[in-house]
Amino acid sequence: MTTAVESVHSSLAAMVGESHVVSEPAACAALAVGGKIPQHIVSPATAEGVAEVLKFAADHDLAVIPRGKGTKLALGMPPRRYDLALSLEKLTQVWHYEPADLTISVEAGMKIGDLQDFLGREGLWLPMDPRGGASATVGGILATNSAGPLRQRFGSARDMVLGIKVATTEGKLVKSGGRVVKNVAGYDLCKLLVGSYGTLGVIVEASLKLFPRPASRATWVLEPGTLGLARDLRRRILNSPLEPLCMVLLNTLAAGLLQNGMQEGEAPGPELWIEVGGSTSVLERHAKDLAEMGRSMGVPSRRVSEHTAESCWVRLRNYDQLFVDSFPEVMVLKATLPIASSEEFLSFAQQGAEAEEVKMASFAQVGVGIVHLILWGGKLGTVADRLVTNTRKAAASLGGALVVEQYASGFDAERDPWGAPGDSLEAMRKLKAAWDPKGVLSPGRFVGGL
Amino acid sequence: MLYEYDGLSSLRPPDVVVFPRTTEHVVQVVKFAASHNLLVVPRGAGTGLSGGSLPWEGGILIAFARMKDILEIDLENQRARVQPGVVNLDLSLAVSDAGYYYAPDPSSQKACTLGGNVAENAGGPHTLLHGVTTNHVLGLEVVLPNGEVIHTGAKFLDSPGYDLTGLFVGSEGTLGIVTEITVRLLRKAESVATLLAIYDRVIDATRTVAAITARGITPAALEMIDGFTLRAIEEATHAGYPMDSAAVLLIEVEGLREAVEENALQVESVCQENRARQVRRAKSAEERDLFWKGRKNAFGALGRISPSYYVQDGVIPRTRLPEMLEFIGQIGTKYDVKIGNIFHAGDGNLHPIILFDPRDEDESRRVREAAGEILAKCIEMGGSITGEHGVGMEKINLMPYLFSPDDLDMMRKIKEVFNSAGRFNPGKVLPTGKMCGELRGQMVAGGVL
Repeated sequence: MTTAVESVHSSLAAMVGESHVVSEPAACAALAVGGKIPQHIVSPATAEGVAEVLKFAADHDLAVIPRGKGTKLALGMPPRRYDLALSLEKLTQVWHYEPADLTISVEAGMKIGDLQDFLGREGLWLPMDPRGGASATVGGILATNSAGPLRQRFGSARDMVLGIKVATTEGKLVKSGGRVVKNVAGYDLCKLLVGSYGTLGVIVEASLKLFPRPASRATWVLEPGTLGLARDLRRRILNSPLEPLCMVLLNTLAAGLLQNGMQEGEAPGPELWIEVGGSTSVLERHAKDLAEMGRSMGVPSRRVSEHTAESCWVRLRNYDQLFVDSFPEVMVLKATLPIASSEEFLSFAQQGAEAEEVKMASFAQVGVGIVHLILWGGKLGTVADRLVTNTRKAAASLGGALVVEQYASGFDAERDPWGAPGDSLEAMRKLKAAWDPKGVLSPGRFVGGL
Repeated sequence: MLYEYDGLSSLRPPDVVVFPRTTEHVVQVVKFAASHNLLVVPRGAGTGLSGGSLPWEGGILIAFARMKDILEIDLENQRARVQPGVVNLDLSLAVSDAGYYYAPDPSSQKACTLGGNVAENAGGPHTLLHGVTTNHVLGLEVVLPNGEVIHTGAKFLDSPGYDLTGLFVGSEGTLGIVTEITVRLLRKAESVATLLAIYDRVIDATRTVAAITARGITPAALEMIDGFTLRAIEEATHAGYPMDSAAVLLIEVEGLREAVEENALQVESVCQENRARQVRRAKSAEERDLFWKGRKNAFGALGRISPSYYVQDGVIPRTRLPEMLEFIGQIGTKYDVKIGNIFHAGDGNLHPIILFDPRDEDESRRVREAAGEILAKCIEMGGSITGEHGVGMEKINLMPYLFSPDDLDMMRKIKEVFNSAGRFNPGKVLPTGKMCGELRGQMVAGGVL
């Protein structure tokens, strides 16, 4: 270590304890973000420790990227600079839990899988199925407002956060909201911090709204054959009294890969996966109505056995990881669209991928208008840039937007994965300056280079 | 003259009231105000209960009565785009035939505007299942104090960038003036069951509340009315509430037919286990409306029996309701004031209504002190001083009891980003340094600390 690095190491160690600071190059290299390697990894054991580290970083102009399990750090521009990896993994306390109030206050480093196990003892859950699966942390989920298919029924993190505690670059712990389900006292900093990607402050604790677990769950698969019929089916379901937990439309390739253990295999066409929760009579009602809808539209439907459904949903909720693990290079795009436009967008995207001769698997949460595209194969490296530009144009022409969640190597890293910011960018810039005047938090990673 | 009041009484009229029809009109007014260093206060229907729309330092009052167009209804996308002066209920009525509605339903929904709902992050009885205003607003057009217009959020979810929509909702017009709102529309439930559970003891009613959620049931609405209030209602409305009961719960479950039937039976048995004298289920839409009519007209009914009343808006964890209701009873005795309770029990959102005669100075003082003690108890129980009415002017002095100086400091920094000169809706939400000092004196005298 150079003298400067050593001196930072000892200052950090004095703050949070020697065992909570790592400066070994190999360990640091493993936490690289966008090709930049930090010099230290700091894992404070208390919220106060996080605040102290942040103040130290601001005072010494050290760039910090907060992280939980790092499951979503691929998203964003490469940092302008990166000195400290600030790990929240040691913050795993439950501070307040009253099952009958359906609220819990937990620290940011708690893994969602552990939290669900804990809540399950009382028959409760946090109805979230974010990217990163069970190991995603509460703090990371909130910082990225990450949500999976369940948001169709329950909304996203933004809707479940009742209160937060945030460490600021001034070294303070600031709270907003509380642990009651209704609260309008003061500005809602929860909304501002949720989805701010660690650029304003570091969420150290959150109070969350809990829900009773559905008594039982069941899964149906409908095979509409074409995107046109998939659209009609989506309209029928959303216009019916049925209340699915979630709906995911897979294209033919995605359906085949999932069922054949990531080997390309036969799937007859696109599949609409629908999960339903509730009492036996509620499940029976869904079975009857979905079968009837399928019949009247000439769409085959089948109920998936409980065991198969469970493992399929685990894969469906972590599809991006499956692809990253299975293929040498993949690009992940997320389009957010008006609900009515999902299928039309999918048709554009499919044509685009075919024209560039790359493979595309699509996972569309058609109930809420969120479409994930995974691209690989062919000359992805060469065509990535053009593909993104064209797909983004298609999303925009349908009234939506496109974010590059994971780059392919050919995508110009200097280009903005977020897309053009709107007319509120200046206001966002000023908010960033108010929270992080020195610009040490995840510098340059967010929308518009914030 | 009228514009010096809202649901909270006030003292000072605005210097001028303008009625814009378009965003461009608002921009011109705001720019004029900026160049002449004038204060600007936005106002919807003036139904607020915390003084959020009161021009207490004068200035220009922008009234949205003429910006009341529904600009777009897009059912397939489950969205509507409206001007801020649209009345809450009018939006639901506009999409009702198609089977949709707008979920947040404040008791004043026949009069209150969506712009005002956004400013205060309004709630209502049916927000227990579906959430409050902030959960249903997806995008805003906002005029900033320099006249600049920005757009936040979108018709689609997750628009990249900070969630400014979420920040503006509930900011009570202190950050910018909302000129257009994109909201989510929900499909009406297939089936609804409305139950009226009648109790001989308040404590049994409050115990029922947590017992229902403990069964894994989230009703669409779970309201409580105490005996004192329901007698006043019954005399005014004839909703069929029993005159001799100590409390009633008004419980509504909605959803798929099968789920509603099962949940209604479960709720009924929970009520009976908790010693309900009787549980009635509305047999028709008319009967359901009658049950709700009493609830929604409660404030008017209390107005008949008292020259004035003061409504509080505290929130507590719902498991603490039995303890809290007993506490409120003691406070009524201690200060010799009449307190009615009618509130969103499922959310733990209390509305103690303290009756008084404003001409009686001693009684007015006792009312303020009683209200202060109740809110202090809410804070002590880990709750909040406002669940849906907003801080406004009314509770500004209580903010330092809920938030630390660091918390408030961060809110001030956010205010400075948008409204650094403090010309937009001055004196709301955030206490100034001077106020804190004054307040401490007042509150100590008032018995809060």
